[in-house]
Amino acid sequence: MNNVIIKLENIKKVFYTDEVETHALSDINLTINKGEYISISGPSGCGKSTLLSLLGLLDTNTSGLYKLSNHDVSDISKKERARIRNREIGFIFQSFNLISDLDVSENVELPLTYRNDLTKAQRQQMVQESLEKVNMAHRSNHYPAQLSGGQQQRIAIARAIVGKPSIILADEPTGNLDSKNAEAVMQLLDMLHSEGATICMVTHDPRSAERAQRNIDILDGQIIADNLQNHYVNNDIAV
Amino acid sequence: MIWQDFNYALRLLSKKTGFTVLTTLVMATGIGISVFMFSFFNTVLFKALPFEDGETLVVISGSLQGKKSSSSINLHDYLSIRDNVQGLSEFGAYRNESVIVSTRDGARRYPAILAEANIFKLTRTEPILGRSFTQAENQKGAESVVVIGYDLWQNHFAGDKGVIKQRLKVNGTSHQIIGVMPQGYLFPNIAKMWLPLHEDANQLIRGDSGRIRGLAHLDKGISLADINNQLSLVMQKLAVKYPQTNSNISAYVTSIPGAGAREGLAVVYSMQAVALFILILASINVGNLLLSRAIERNKETAIRVALGAPRLRLISQMLWESTIICTVGALIGLLVMAWGLEITEGIVATFFSDPPAFWWKFGLDNYTLKLFFAIVIGTILVTGLLPAWKSSGGDFNAVLRDGTRGALGKKSGRLSKLLVISEIFISMTVLIATAVMVYASFMQSNKDIGAETENVLVANVLVTAYDSAEKKIQFVNTLQSRLENSAGISEVMISSALPGLFSLEANIAIEGQEYSNITNASYPSANYISIMPGSLAKLGVELRKGRYFDHSDDGLGKASVLVSESFALRHFPQQSAIDKRLRVIQKGSDKVQWLRIVGVVEHTIQGSRESESVPSIYRPYSQAPRAQITVAMKMAANPVLATKTLRKVLQSIDADLPSYQIETYEQSNNRITAPIRFISSLMALFALAALVLAASGIYGVMANTISQRTQEIGIKRALGADDEYITKEYLMTGIKLLLWGGVPGLLAGSFMGFAMSKTFGTGNAALVVIAVTMVVLIGSVVLFATYLPTKRALKLEPSQALHYQ
Ligand SMILES: Nc1ncnc2c1ncn2[C@@H]1O[C@H](COP(=O)(O)OP(=O)(O)O)[C@@H](O)[C@H]1O
Ligand SMILES: [Mg+2]
Repeated sequence: MNNVIIKLENIKKVFYTDEVETHALSDINLTINKGEYISISGPSGCGKSTLLSLLGLLDTNTSGLYKLSNHDVSDISKKERARIRNREIGFIFQSFNLISDLDVSENVELPLTYRNDLTKAQRQQMVQESLEKVNMAHRSNHYPAQLSGGQQQRIAIARAIVGKPSIILADEPTGNLDSKNAEAVMQLLDMLHSEGATICMVTHDPRSAERAQRNIDILDGQIIADNLQNHYVNNDIAV
Repeated sequence: MIWQDFNYALRLLSKKTGFTVLTTLVMATGIGISVFMFSFFNTVLFKALPFEDGETLVVISGSLQGKKSSSSINLHDYLSIRDNVQGLSEFGAYRNESVIVSTRDGARRYPAILAEANIFKLTRTEPILGRSFTQAENQKGAESVVVIGYDLWQNHFAGDKGVIKQRLKVNGTSHQIIGVMPQGYLFPNIAKMWLPLHEDANQLIRGDSGRIRGLAHLDKGISLADINNQLSLVMQKLAVKYPQTNSNISAYVTSIPGAGAREGLAVVYSMQAVALFILILASINVGNLLLSRAIERNKETAIRVALGAPRLRLISQMLWESTIICTVGALIGLLVMAWGLEITEGIVATFFSDPPAFWWKFGLDNYTLKLFFAIVIGTILVTGLLPAWKSSGGDFNAVLRDGTRGALGKKSGRLSKLLVISEIFISMTVLIATAVMVYASFMQSNKDIGAETENVLVANVLVTAYDSAEKKIQFVNTLQSRLENSAGISEVMISSALPGLFSLEANIAIEGQEYSNITNASYPSANYISIMPGSLAKLGVELRKGRYFDHSDDGLGKASVLVSESFALRHFPQQSAIDKRLRVIQKGSDKVQWLRIVGVVEHTIQGSRESESVPSIYRPYSQAPRAQITVAMKMAANPVLATKTLRKVLQSIDADLPSYQIETYEQSNNRITAPIRFISSLMALFALAALVLAASGIYGVMANTISQRTQEIGIKRALGADDEYITKEYLMTGIKLLLWGGVPGLLAGSFMGFAMSKTFGTGNAALVVIAVTMVVLIGSVVLFATYLPTKRALKLEPSQALHYQ
C-alpha cells in the first residue's frame, strides 16, 4: 500500500465561464503506484489536460480528495503547492513552453533556481547531467528559437527531470513532432521510466499509448477504461 | 487604395472605442498644453511688434554690475552708443512718464511717452489726424505740443476731428494737440499720449543727464549678440573715461518684447522644456498603445505579409491610425487651448495696474497655427512610424511557424523598457521643476510683508503739480486730516511706498565708513521711503528701538531717519544704530546732508518678493516730500463708501489732482505675486497632466509587458516558482527601470529646479525635500504599475496562465 503515490477519490472539476458550467471531470477515482507508466487517451475536450493539471497541482479540483504520497493536497497553501511542483513533479508540454529570452542551459536551470538548497556549482552540474541525458549538452548556449521542435522538446524534458522529480506529467509530448522526433522523445520517456520515474502521459497516438504499462481512456470527464498492457500483465505475473 | 486603408483604420479604431477615446484624449492633452505654452511665451516675449519692420526694432537698456535690469541709460551714453555702434540704424530715445491731464471731467493720470521726434517713424506708423512732432519742437524751450492716442481722442473729445485746433492741460501746462494716433497704437507699451523729450544733451552735464531708453532698427544680417558685444565695448570705454558716472554700468539690447524677460529667461525655458516633455510623454503613450495593438495584430500582419502585402502598404495602414488619433486629438487640444488663451488674456490683465503691453494678444495667431501643424505632423510620424516600422519588420516566418510572438516580442520588450525609462525620466524632471515653482509661489504669496493688510483701502495720488516742497507737505497734511475726519475711515496712513509694495531704492553712505570708490555701485542700497508720522505704527510695523517719527521731526531742514531692523543688523552689527548718521546719495547733487537715526523698526518687504531682504530707510514726509504718494485708509465701512469719501475729499482740496488705482491693500499686494501664482498654477496643472500621463503610460506599458508574459509566468509557476518569487522578480524589473530613468531624471529635474530656486530664492533644502518626495512618488507609481499587473497574472490558475494568449 505504501507503493501508492497518487490517489484520487471522487474528483470533480467544474469550470465556470460566463455563466456556463463545464463539467470537465466528474467522479474520477484513480490510484497510481510508484514507478507506473500510464497513458491517458480520449477524444479532444474530454478532460485529459484538466486531469493532468490537477495531478500536477496546476489547478484545484472542485470537489473530491487528492492524496499525493499519502498527503491530502486538496487545500494546502499556494506556496506549498509551488514547492511540490518544484520538487516532486516534472512537466512536459505539447508546445515545449521554453522561455525564449533564456538560453538552453538557463531554461533547464530554471526549476533549480526556485530552490535555495543548491549552490551555483551544484546547479550547473545538475543542468549538465540533465542535458547529457537528452543528448543536448552541445547546444547549451543556444536560444530556443535556434532549435528544431524535436530539440526543443528534448530541452523541455531535460528541464522536467533536472530536479529529479518522482512524477513526470507529459501532455501530448509528441503532438507537435514528426514521427522521427516523436520516437526519440518516447525513447527518452522509456529510459526515465526504467530509471524509476512515475510517468503520466496524455496521448491520442495508440502507438505511443502502447509503450505505457497502463492505459486509461477518458470520455466526457469520466474514466471509461483502465487496462494493463498485456505484456506487462504477463511480466507482472511472471514476477 | 489610400481610401481603403483609411477606411480600414477607421474600422479598427471604432471597434475599440475605449482605446480610441483614451489615445485621442492623451494626444489632445499633450498637443494642447505644449502649443499653449509656446504660444503664450511667444506672445509675451518673442513676437514681433505689429508694425512694418517690427521684427528689427530693438530697445537699448542699462545694466548695473552685469545684471540686466529694466533700467534706462543716460542721454550722453545713448549718444555715444548712437555714434559708435555699427549695425543699428534710425536711433531714437524715449522715456516713460505718468502725466496728469486736466479735463472738464476732472483730473486723470495717464501713462505718457516723452520721445524724440522720430518715435512714430521708427514704428512706421502715421497719425490718423494731424502730424507728429518735429525736430524743432523737440528742442528745449519750444512750444508745448502733444500727440494723443485714439482712446483719449474718443473719450475726451468724442472723436471730434477739430481736436487738432484744441489744447490739452498736461501736468498743469497747456499743450497744443497736433496729432491723433490710430486705434490700438500704444507704443512702446501702454502710452496714451506722446510729448517731445525736450532734452538736449549739449545743455546737460554728464551724470545729470536725463534717463532714457534707446530705440533702433537692427540692420539686416546683424545679430543681437553682435550688437551686445559692441555695446559693452563702448560702455567699457566710457567707464574708463568717466569713472565718476559710468563705473559698473553697461548697456544691452533686446527685442522690445524680450526686454520683459531679463534674468527670468531660465524660468521661461524651463517651462517650455516642461511643455515639450509633456508632448513627448503624450507621444510615447500613444506610440506605445499603437505598438501594443500592432503586436496584438502581429499574427494577422504576418498572414498579410505571407499573402504578399508590401511593407509600405502595411506601414501606411498603421500610419492612418495614428493620423486619425493625432488629428482628432490635436483638434480637441486646439479648441481647449484657444479657450485657455482667451482666459489667459483676462488673467494676465489683472497682473498689472495699467493694462498689459498692447501687443499681448493671446490667441490662435500665425505662429501658433504654424507650430500646431508642425506638432501634429511630428506626432503622427513619431506615434505611427515607430510601431509600424517595428511590427512590419518582424520575423514573420517565426510568427507563422510557432504561433508565438517570437523575435518581435523580444525586440518590442526592449522598446517597452525604453518607453518606461523615458516616461520615468520625463515625469521626474517635470515634477521636480514644477514643485520648486509651486513651492516658490506658495512661499512668496504667504510671506509676511511686515504689516497688517486687512480692511485697508489704498489709492495713489500724484502731486507733481505742486512744484514746491512746502506745497506738497501742505497738501498731504490737509489730505490726512480731512480723511481722518471723514465718516467711514478710522485711520489714515500716507507713504511713498506701503509695506509690500514697490519702493524707490537709493544708495546710502554710512558716516565713518570708507567706500572703495566714488561710483554709485559701491554704496549699499536700501528702499528709500517717505512716510507721514504715525503711519508705521498704524500699519503694524513695530518699533524695535528708539522712537517713531513725531511732530518734532517736522520741518524741511531737519534730518531724521528711521531704519529697518535688517538695515541696522547689516550696517551696525555690533552696536546700536540709534544716533548713528547716514546719508542718501543723490545723483548730480553735491549737497551732503547727514541724517540721524532716531529709531529702528521691523523689516518689511518692498515690491518683488525675490528681493525680500533689501533693507529700508524712512524719512518723514515733512522732511522729504515726494510727488507720488500712496494713501492707505482703515475702513470702518465698505470699500465703495471709502472710495467715494476719498474722491470727495480730494476734490475738495484740489480738483486737478487725480487719484488712481484705488483698491484694497490686499489686492495691491496680491498683484505683486500674481504672475508667479499664475505661472505656478499653470505649471501645477501641467505637472498634474504629466503625472497622469506618465502614471497611465507606465502602467499601460508594464501591464502590457506583464500580460504578454502571462504564459511565461504560467511556465515558471509550473516549474515551481511561488507567487512571492514571481512578484519579486517583476518588482526587480520595475526597480531597475526606475533607476535607469529616475537617476537621470533626478539630475535633470534638480538642475532645472536649481535654476528656478536661484531665480525665486527658495533655497536648496526645499529642493532636496522636493526631489526626495518626487522620487518616492514616482517610485510608488512604478512599483504600483508593476505590482498590480503581476498580481493580476498570479490570480490565474497556473493551468490557465499556460494557455493564455
Ligand atoms: N480554463 C478553462 N475554463 C473553462 N473551460 C475549460 C478550461 N480548461 C478546460 N476547459 C474545458 O474543459 C473541457 C476539458 O478540457 P481539456 O481537459 O483541455 O480537454 P482535452 O482532453 O482535450 O485535454 C473542455 O470542454 C474545455 O473546454
Ligand atoms: Mg489537452
